[in-house]
Amino acid sequence: MTETVGRPWVRADARAKVTGQAKFPGDFGMADMVHAKILFADRPHARVVSIDTSEAAQVEGVVAIFTAQDVPVNEYGLQTADQPVLCGPGSGKPGADVVRFVGDQVALVVADTRAAAEQARGLMEITYEDLPVVSDPFEALKPGAPQIHPGREASELHPELSTEGNFICHHQIRKGDMEAGWAQADVVVEGQYHTPGQEHAYLQPEAGLAYIDDEGRVAVVVAGQWAWEDQRQIAHALDIPVEEIRVIYPAIGGAFGGREDMSVQIVLALAAYRLQRPVKITWTREESIRGHCKRHPMWFRCKWGATREGELVAAEVQVVADGGAYCYTTNKVLGNTTITCTGPYAFPNAKVDVDGVYTNNPPSGAMRGFGAPQGIFAAEMQMNKLAEALGMDPVALRMRNLLQDEMPTTTGTPLAGGVHLQEVTERCALAAGWERAEEGWRKPAAKGVALAGRPKEAMRTGMGMAVGFKNVGFSFGYQENCWLRIELRGEDDIERAIVTIGTADVGQGAHTVLQQMAAEALQVSMERVSLEASDTGTSPGSSGSASASRTTFMAGNAIREAAALALDGWREGERPAVVEHTYLAPETTPLDPDTGEGFPNFAYGYVAQVVEVVVDVETGELRVRRVVCADDVGKAINPEQVEGQIEGGVVQAMGWVTCENFIAQAGRVLTPHLSTYLIPTIADVPERMETIIVEKPDPRGPWGARGMGEMPFLPLAPALLAAVHDATGVWIDEFPLTPERVLRSLRDGGSLLECDWE
Amino acid sequence: MSLDWLGPGRVPVTLNVNGREVEVTIEPRRTLLSVLREELGLTGTKEGCDEGNCGACTVLVDGRTVYACLVLAVDCSGRCVRTVEGLRRAENLHPVQEAFVDQDAFQCGFCTSGQIVSAVSLLEQNPKPHRGDIERAMAGNLCRCGAYPNIVAAVLEAARLEEAPDAKD
Ligand code: FES
Ligand code: FES
Repeated sequence: MTETVGRPWVRADARAKVTGQAKFPGDFGMADMVHAKILFADRPHARVVSIDTSEAAQVEGVVAIFTAQDVPVNEYGLQTADQPVLCGPGSGKPGADVVRFVGDQVALVVADTRAAAEQARGLMEITYEDLPVVSDPFEALKPGAPQIHPGREASELHPELSTEGNFICHHQIRKGDMEAGWAQADVVVEGQYHTPGQEHAYLQPEAGLAYIDDEGRVAVVVAGQWAWEDQRQIAHALDIPVEEIRVIYPAIGGAFGGREDMSVQIVLALAAYRLQRPVKITWTREESIRGHCKRHPMWFRCKWGATREGELVAAEVQVVADGGAYCYTTNKVLGNTTITCTGPYAFPNAKVDVDGVYTNNPPSGAMRGFGAPQGIFAAEMQMNKLAEALGMDPVALRMRNLLQDEMPTTTGTPLAGGVHLQEVTERCALAAGWERAEEGWRKPAAKGVALAGRPKEAMRTGMGMAVGFKNVGFSFGYQENCWLRIELRGEDDIERAIVTIGTADVGQGAHTVLQQMAAEALQVSMERVSLEASDTGTSPGSSGSASASRTTFMAGNAIREAAALALDGWREGERPAVVEHTYLAPETTPLDPDTGEGFPNFAYGYVAQVVEVVVDVETGELRVRRVVCADDVGKAINPEQVEGQIEGGVVQAMGWVTCENFIAQAGRVLTPHLSTYLIPTIADVPERMETIIVEKPDPRGPWGARGMGEMPFLPLAPALLAAVHDATGVWIDEFPLTPERVLRSLRDGGSLLECDWE
Repeated sequence: MSLDWLGPGRVPVTLNVNGREVEVTIEPRRTLLSVLREELGLTGTKEGCDEGNCGACTVLVDGRTVYACLVLAVDCSGRCVRTVEGLRRAENLHPVQEAFVDQDAFQCGFCTSGQIVSAVSLLEQNPKPHRGDIERAMAGNLCRCGAYPNIVAAVLEAARLEEAPDAKD
C-alpha cells in the first residue's frame, strides 16, 4: 500500500499559487489580441427596438461590434435554452429581442484597446421600449402579471418545467394521510420564513481569452465548472460542430456554483471565430455582480405536528422561490429544496409544494448547497421551535426523529449509502458541551461574556444547534457519469501514469485529490501520476460538473474502475496500457409529479453544527463566538483540504446570515460593489471553530468517500438563529441579521413576515 | 473619433520593481496595477475589483502596503515597488510563502498574492504579531474561499520561522 489516500498532501498547485505564477483566465494575453466589452441592458424588462452602431464604429481602434443578428442560434441555458446570447432584433429567435434583467447582454464591442472598446460601448445607440417590471414572485403569479417568457413549450427532458404563466417549475410531495396526521398531533408549530439571495463574490471576476488554436479550433480559456457542457453550449449557439470548439480551464478563482452557467464564453468564442484572432475580456466587479446568477431567495410557510412525546407526525410546507429572469438550474435546485424542507426526519405524513417563479430579477442559479440551505433552514427552524413548544431538548427531539438506515424519506425510499445523522448529531452535541444524562440530553448552561466598553447586561449569550443532509450529484433521474483516460507508461515498472479528465479544480483542491486517488488505485507514488485536466481538447468525454459535492465520489469511482482495467492491460503486457472509461453512478428516478415518490439520489452527506453567539441587545450587533461542526465525509481523502472546506463553508454561510445583503429593487441591483455587498473578512470569523471529521464509509464511494463541499454550509443559518433565540428569547425568521433587523425583531418580539400566499 | 477623453498622452516613467529599474511609456491615468499586469507582465498581482475593496492587488511601495489599483503608476516613479514575484530569496520561497503552503492557507489562490504581501509587511513591522494584530493588518484582504483560520495560522508560523529559521519541524 502506498497510502496516498487519507493523508494531507500539499495541493498540487501550492507553489504556483504562493509565488504568483499560477495563471487565472485574466492573466493570459497574446500578441495580436483585441479587447472586448459587453454592453449590458441595464434595465430589467424592455424590448430592444433598434440598435445603431454607427457612432460607436467610428471610434479609433474599433474592430467589430456584434449584436443579436450575428449569433447563429441565439439561445443558451443549462437546463432549457431560454436565454438569448445577445438580446436584440434580427436573430430570428422568437423573444430574443427582449431583455429580462439588468445583466442581459445586448452587444459585444471589440477594439484594439480596452479603453477604445469602453468608449465605443458608451456611444452605442439602443432604442428600448420599456415593459412592465415584475420583481416580486408573489406578484408574478397573480393574474394579469407581466409575462416574462410567454409561449414556452413543454420539455420532454425536464417534465417538471412548467409552460404556464410565470411558473418555472413545480415539485410536490403527497405522503400518507394529512388528516390522520393532524389528528395525532398534540403540538402544532406554524412558521413563515424568508431566506435571501446570495452573491457568489468569487474573488476572480469573469474573464477569458478566445483564439484559434493550431488545429483551427476556437479555443476559449475561461473559468467554469463543466468544460464539456460549456463546449456543447458554445457550439450550439455558433452552430458549428462541437469538435471545433475547445474549452480550457486554467487556475480558477473560486466558483461556488456561480460558474455553472455561462458568462463570457459564447460571445468570446463568437468574436474569435468571426475575427479569426485572439479576443480578451475581463469583467469589472460591478459587471460580475450584475451579470451572473445568485442564490435563490425563498419564502416558506410551514406547519409541523408532533405527539406530546415528541414524535413527528405531519408536515405541510409551501415554498415559493424567485428564479429571476431565466431558468438556469432552478428545477434542480428546487428538487433539493423539496426533499430537504422537511428536514432529515421520518414523517409518515407530508404535503410539500414548491414553485419556482420567473421575475425580472437577476437569475437565480447554483450556489453552494443548491437549494438545500434554504430547505434545511426552514426545517430546522421548525424543529427548534417544536423542541421549545414540547419543552424538550433540541438534541433529544432530533435523536428521536432522525432518519436511519432503511427508513423511508418523504419520497418513500430510504437514503442511499448508509445514514449517519445520529452519529454527527451526537458527536457535535457532545463536543459542544451537551450532557447525556440518565433522563436524556441536557444542554450546557450559557456562559456570560464581558466585552470591553459594553454594559454587561446588554450582552446576551446563546447556543443553538441544527442538522443537515444533502445529496451528492444532480440526479433526480439524471444519469450521473464521469469520463476519464488512464495511460500507464514504462517497461518493467509503471514509470508514469497519465490521468486525463475534464474535471475542474475550482479551488476546492479536486486535482490534488484526484492525483491521490489515482496513485492509490494504481499503487504508484504521487510523483509518478500526472494529471491532464480541464481541457476538452484532451478530454473529449464528459467528466461532469465540479459541483453538487460530486467530484470526489464520481471521479474517484471512475479512477478506481479505470485503474483496474489499465492494470489488467499492463499485466498482459500492454505498453503503454491505455484505458478510456466512463463511470456511471447508481441509477436514480425523478420524483413522481403527483406524489413525489421516487429514488432521487445515490449518495448523501450528513452534518451537524452548534453555534454560540453573543448578541448586544442595545446595538443589535452580534458576534459568533464558536462553531462546532461534525461532518460525515465517509472518508477524508485529504483531511487538510476537508478541513479547509468545512471552515470555508462555515465562513460563507456566516456571511449569508450576518453581513451579506444583496439588494435588488424593481429589478435593479443596488449592491454591485464589494463596498456595498459585504462579505466576511478575517476579523469576522468565529473566535473558535472546531471541526469533527466523521468517517462512516459509503460502501459505494471511492475508499468510502461521500461528497462534502456543500454540507458544512447547511446547518449554520438555523443553528445561528437558534442561538440568537437562546440569547434573547426571540425567533427571527429571516436574515441577514443586520443590526437594524435584530433590533427591530427584539422590539417587535419576532419577525413580521407578510407574504401574499394565495 | 479619437480617445482624447483619456487625458494627457503617454509619458516615460521609471519604476523600480522587485529591485530592477524598468522604463515604461504610459498615460498618466494608468494605475500601478494595470502597468504591473499589462506592461510588465507581472500577473501575480491580481485584479479582484479595481476599486479598493478586495486587497487582491496588494503590493509594497517603499515597504508599505498599498492597493495597486488605487495608486497611479506615475506616482511611483523613483520609488521601490515589491510584488509577490519579488519575495523569493534566491531559489527559496519566502518564509511567509512557505508557511502558506504548509498551513494550506488558501483554496483557489486568487487572494493569495495579496494576502502574502500583506503578511510580509506586517511581519516586517511587527515580527511577533498576535491574532488581533493579524486580523487588523489583514482585514483589507478578502478571501471568499474562507481560508482565514489557516491564514492566521500561516502568519503565526511565518513569524516563528523568521525568528528561528531552522525551527521548522
Ligand atoms: S483590485 Fe485593488 S483592492 Fe480589489
Ligand atoms: S483562496 Fe480563494 S479567495 Fe482566498
